[in-house]
Amino acid sequence: MTAATVAAPESIDLGAELKQRARRRRLLVWAARLATIVIVIGGWQWFTTLKIVDPFFFGQPSGIALKLKDWYQHGTQFGTIWSQVWVTMKEAILGFFVGVAAGVVVGVLLGSVRFLSDVLSPYIKAVNALPRIVLGSIFLVSLGLGIASKVLLAAVLVFFAVFFNAYQGVREVDRGLIANVRILGASRLQVIRNVVLPSAATWIIASLHVAFGFAIIGAIVGEFLGAQQGLGLVIVSAQNNFDPDGVFAAMLIIAVIALTAEWLIGLLERRLLSWRPPTHTEVAGI
Amino acid sequence: MATEPRIELSGVTKRFATPTGTSFTALRDVNLTVEPGQFCAVVGPTGCGKSTTLTLVAGLERASAGSVRIGDQPVTGIASGTSFMFQTDALLPWKTVIANVAMGPLFHGVPKRTALADAREWLRVVGLAGFENHHPHQLSGGMRKRVSLATALINEPTILLMDEPFGALDVQTKAIMSNELLGLWDQSKPSVIFVTHDLEEAIALADKVVVMTAGPGTVKAVYDIDLPRPRGAVQEIRFDKRFLELYQQVWESLRDEVTRAYARTAQTPEGAHS
Repeated sequence: MTAATVAAPESIDLGAELKQRARRRRLLVWAARLATIVIVIGGWQWFTTLKIVDPFFFGQPSGIALKLKDWYQHGTQFGTIWSQVWVTMKEAILGFFVGVAAGVVVGVLLGSVRFLSDVLSPYIKAVNALPRIVLGSIFLVSLGLGIASKVLLAAVLVFFAVFFNAYQGVREVDRGLIANVRILGASRLQVIRNVVLPSAATWIIASLHVAFGFAIIGAIVGEFLGAQQGLGLVIVSAQNNFDPDGVFAAMLIIAVIALTAEWLIGLLERRLLSWRPPTHTEVAGI
Repeated sequence: MATEPRIELSGVTKRFATPTGTSFTALRDVNLTVEPGQFCAVVGPTGCGKSTTLTLVAGLERASAGSVRIGDQPVTGIASGTSFMFQTDALLPWKTVIANVAMGPLFHGVPKRTALADAREWLRVVGLAGFENHHPHQLSGGMRKRVSLATALINEPTILLMDEPFGALDVQTKAIMSNELLGLWDQSKPSVIFVTHDLEEAIALADKVVVMTAGPGTVKAVYDIDLPRPRGAVQEIRFDKRFLELYQQVWESLRDEVTRAYARTAQTPEGAHS
């Protein structure tokens, strides 16, 4: 008891000191982050102002900011900037959901039915080797300039990312767990619902991060190929007007969309995988 | 509950195809009978096909030759009334403890509310009241074994198959779990086949100890354990005079097989197959 009372203040001191050290480190990291962005953006601005780097080709941070302000106040030549953002987001999100749904269904099906996967696997490998982005041209011709062709292109890109992970996830399911629930009386469907899907969820959710990036690429490239609205179209027209600031400004908007989606997927991941014990990488947090 | 589920293996041989295209004989001509309500322990060296015997009785695998029967019925697939406790815990890590235990009744079409109430009761029986909403990774190894036990027993099995269930536990926890297993077994008296490599555990728990030969496994000898029941604490029965006699007898028989199996694995490291 006496040992405990003696040790207590010491441990509190230790805790306070550790906390302070952690705070100092956090501050240092943030300061270094700030310095990095100031150096990169400031350097860019500075070099282009001095004409060491030609702003005609490489744009200028201040120009990008002015461009964003201009879009916000006067809109683009195709309508308000919000409507462009909305069109691109709609295409990416719809494509994302269609691709994810198809990827999960086909992945789980092929993962659980050995015969199907034996028959289809060479074709899937072959199709995966094709540059699928080229399909955008076909979709544009067959589905027209509207959003359908972009949704489909995004969905095709997303499908393969999700499919391979879902398939692998299903193949990696612990045989022991399946044997156990079968002995407990589970039907085939109950095995899939209770064991296969939750087990593959780790893999599937990991693929969603990449998949949303693919969805945005699909939407933007689809708009490059031909569209009446959307951020891809804004980029193409900026390019045709020799306006690098416009390209960068649109890029910035896309990055914000992608980061928001990434954050939402992260929330979903934490919610669905809350049963997992915390791993060291998550504790360290990056 | 099914009536009188006597387990009968006669002339059972099990071969597996190896990846290289040859066949590997795990079991050869096994004859074994477990009477209703009997606690049968199976001991043998590593790789003698102990676990394979269990998967055959459970209906997870089919025998290559011979017959496996439960009662009068040949085993053709997974039979209800049989529960299996695996060496590694087979709990679903994404389900809470109570959801894991409630799985069996739910799969059998019991309404959710009843299944959860049953699961709660079984968790109380195995001493885990208050841990219903924990996830398996939050429990210790011994606690996870208790959950597995509750999961296996909630289906009211007439046959309980156990594959080195306490193999991964420390000695003290193992002894505690063994005592609790005996207590629970005594209440519903399912027929048990308990696979282990621990001879002390086998003798302390079982009515009958089966010694298997080094692979391909077959039954070498069967010993009736006539220690009185209830046995009391397994930690103490080990000092019983009769226990020591039995231990010596069975060990005589087991020793040669262990030596043979060891010599074989020492020659070919990949020969180890459990």
